[in-house]
Amino acid sequence: MNTSAGLYVHVPFCLTRCGYCDFNAYEGLDHLQSPYTTALQKEADLWSEQWRAIRIASIFMGGGTPTTLPVEGLVSLLDHFRGAFHFAGDGEVTVEANPDTVDASYFAALRAGGVNRISMGVQSFDASVLRSLERLHSADSVRSAFASARSAGVDNLNLDLIYGAEGETSSSWVRTLEEAIALGPDHISAYALTVEPNTPLGRQVASGQRPGPDPDVQADRYEAACSLLATAGYEHYEISNWAQAGYRCVHNEGYWEGRPYLGLGAGAHSFRDGRRWWNVRPPQEYLSMVESGRLPVGGEERLTEDERQTEQLLLGLRRTDGVPEAWLDAARATDYVAEGLAERRGDRVALTERGWFVASEAVLDLRR
Amino acid sequence: MTEPSRIRNLCIVAHIDHGKSTLADRFLELTHAVSARDMREQYLDRMDLERERGITIKAQAVRLDFGDHVINLIDTPGHVDFTYEVSRSLAACEGAILLVDAAQGIEAQTLANFHLARDAGLTIVPAVNKVDLPAADPEGTMTELAELLGIDPDDVLRISAKTGEGVEDLLRAAIERIPPPRGTPDAPLRALIFDSAHDVYRGVIAYVRVVDGELHARERVRLMANGLETETEEVGVIAPEPRPVPALKAGEVGYLVTGVRDVRQAQVGDTITTIGRASATEPLPGYREPKPMVWSGLFPLEGGDYAALRDALDKLRLSDAALVYEPESSHALGFGFRCGFLGLLHMDIVRERLEREHGLELIATAPNVEYHVRRGDEVLEVHNPSEMPVPGTYDAIEEPYVAATIISPKDYLGAVMDLNQSRRGTMMEMKYLSTERAELHYLLPLGEIIFDFFDQLKSRTRGYASLDYEHWGYEPADLVKVDILLQGEPVDAFSMVVHRDKAYAYGRSMVEKLRELIPRQMFEVAIQAAIGGRIIARESVRAKRKDVLAKCYGGDITRKRKLLEQQKKGKARMRRVGRVDVPQEAFIAALQVETSANPGGGGGGAKK
Repeated sequence: MNTSAGLYVHVPFCLTRCGYCDFNAYEGLDHLQSPYTTALQKEADLWSEQWRAIRIASIFMGGGTPTTLPVEGLVSLLDHFRGAFHFAGDGEVTVEANPDTVDASYFAALRAGGVNRISMGVQSFDASVLRSLERLHSADSVRSAFASARSAGVDNLNLDLIYGAEGETSSSWVRTLEEAIALGPDHISAYALTVEPNTPLGRQVASGQRPGPDPDVQADRYEAACSLLATAGYEHYEISNWAQAGYRCVHNEGYWEGRPYLGLGAGAHSFRDGRRWWNVRPPQEYLSMVESGRLPVGGEERLTEDERQTEQLLLGLRRTDGVPEAWLDAARATDYVAEGLAERRGDRVALTERGWFVASEAVLDLRR
Repeated sequence: MTEPSRIRNLCIVAHIDHGKSTLADRFLELTHAVSARDMREQYLDRMDLERERGITIKAQAVRLDFGDHVINLIDTPGHVDFTYEVSRSLAACEGAILLVDAAQGIEAQTLANFHLARDAGLTIVPAVNKVDLPAADPEGTMTELAELLGIDPDDVLRISAKTGEGVEDLLRAAIERIPPPRGTPDAPLRALIFDSAHDVYRGVIAYVRVVDGELHARERVRLMANGLETETEEVGVIAPEPRPVPALKAGEVGYLVTGVRDVRQAQVGDTITTIGRASATEPLPGYREPKPMVWSGLFPLEGGDYAALRDALDKLRLSDAALVYEPESSHALGFGFRCGFLGLLHMDIVRERLEREHGLELIATAPNVEYHVRRGDEVLEVHNPSEMPVPGTYDAIEEPYVAATIISPKDYLGAVMDLNQSRRGTMMEMKYLSTERAELHYLLPLGEIIFDFFDQLKSRTRGYASLDYEHWGYEPADLVKVDILLQGEPVDAFSMVVHRDKAYAYGRSMVEKLRELIPRQMFEVAIQAAIGGRIIARESVRAKRKDVLAKCYGGDITRKRKLLEQQKKGKARMRRVGRVDVPQEAFIAALQVETSANPGGGGGGAKK
């Protein structure tokens, strides 16, 4: 088999849990860090035989906050995975970092351990937005972490931003974008804040204590991002992702292209040969399963042909390359092109930036 | 058989809630027709639906023995929709008890019923009911009645149907004053069908009054209006349970198991005569075909229920001779039926039965009247607004008018007049019933009455005014069809015929309602109201700008796909009109108009 795969590693620990976040992340579980690191290695061993034949093109350590782990821990994990899987030497290795958990020596150790891409959770440069998102770091700590990373030789850096939060104004969002651009990252991800029901923010919005994001305001912010980032030379290659030439995220593109991936850690998702499965979410449950030598799988699904096509369309239409026109309802596609929501490129159709922001309905509309 | 001289055929007529059903209960007790053990309130109001709505829909005839006399008590429907049926019931009687609530006085239906009964040549026995109530004004009410009838106030009886006070005196007075039936026992048979019912096992049961001759079981008869011939299966009396008898003779009232399956074959008002023995040559007067006055499109909420709706209507028509329907296809609502009803109450009853007895969920278009479109000598009957021809292709449009009677306390006369004026009414007459109350007569377009007129009248008079009306005729009017367009495409279900002066208001309110009801779409949606090609109102629903899950995290694509599948289900419940997806709820909400089925009713089954 000559396809390559991605390896995702989930680290569920955080300094504090943010009110908007519905990821599988926990504060106050630091005492589990050491057994968890060991369990990740053991889980890799459990999968090793099945996955060894496939080349791993990228590793992504996300969370949670991977950098809450001691840097030696992260590096030892990477070493272990190199032994358990067939990992390409020049592959992309990303670690998500929280600005308050890292310094120059941390970055240097990651570099030395083989990490070649850092994705930093910035969210905003505006103090009131950071407060409403319950982020502890400051704009200054972002700037200093960024400088440390660069000085440690990290030459592929992403900044994550969030827009549409309470406390943001149109000008504060533009300032955040300008500050981010001024640092000169190689990649920027900008996400519209999504209110998830099972979060403190979700409950506050549902009960009317806090306003939910206004979709039109979010659309305005999105358009501002599109325009400022384009001017700064970034390619908008997926709804929420912009990169300088040559710096697209290999790992994420793997998801979007339907390539296989193996997820290690609590709640991590995996996909291979039309089958998708996911690990149990609670870290304790994950630990006990792995420690007793069992695969920590909590559920699985086998995609029907219809589901597979839906996913291909769903993922393809989120990207700049689009999908083959043959997948689409021709009359609807023509309507979309006429309305400026899509463009024809040869025998493919891609959504425009405006079209991307209504991609969910577009998928339902355009599907043959 | 009973000597005609000992028979009295009578009915009770009253305004809604004046106590007709309670008085009937007392008559049943007084004559020992029902044992105390079996007695229940509103005994004669049989059908479930009647009990729940507190309205007597079907007249019934019950035979009561009182001393030497036989009294046939014929119940009359108490609603303006069923005026024709009332007139046939009255035609089966020689007398009527005119019952008036002593606390309310004469109301609009009191007058309407009085006029119907007098025109039918009936002897009227006036009675004031509820004299036991603290708020009662028996003297005042007796004076009003005496004035109306041109009699001495002392001839008005005072009763309480609730306590039974005066009820026996009333019955004796009725026997004394109402003449026995006339008719010729040895003439060829003529029997009047004044009501009918459908029984699943026995087919159509006709309630009949034999005018001349004799009606036997097991003999060949002809229905004179439609020419149908059949053999009678059984004749009997209702006392108050059905009891077969060998024959019904001149002057008697009873039931007939006709041997036909469809109530259309034995219509109310038709005359039955024999075939074998001498046949009558002249039918009894007054027969007419049921004529639908109000139309509405009924569509199944689920398109797959079309066949079920058709079957349900086919079943319903077996027991409802006035229901008419034809298939209709709407771009917006799919396949359904355009149905004609006697009025709004009849419409509500049919819809309710379809939903309750047949488990259907329905969308109904706003009701409309039947328009006559004149083109030279040709008259086109239009009962669907979407079929109204475009302006310039006809000479005139005519709409149905009603003659309305409104009784109101004098303090509210201004409010009543304002309402009538806003509904294009013309006042024909006004007179005072007493120093406190007046009687107003208006000509009004029926199309104006079917939209919340009665509710408005009630709310503007704190519930004191009463209304009755009868159909009057067609008059030309400056009517226009207002179309509602989505992205330039007319939505047939929303087309409405209105007076030109009201077209703008209708168009405006409809486009504003739809702007709220139609969710934002991928493209801007233009909502327009138009007369012919001219746009009179416009709103738009801005294009949706955000509908995306921004983050696709850690390979959890399953969740994203599932959210999308949910969204798809929501979308599937919408109907696509051109390029616009309209939710079912939007159709239902936009078509929701305030209609009021009253005035009328009768028999407050729910009251204690």
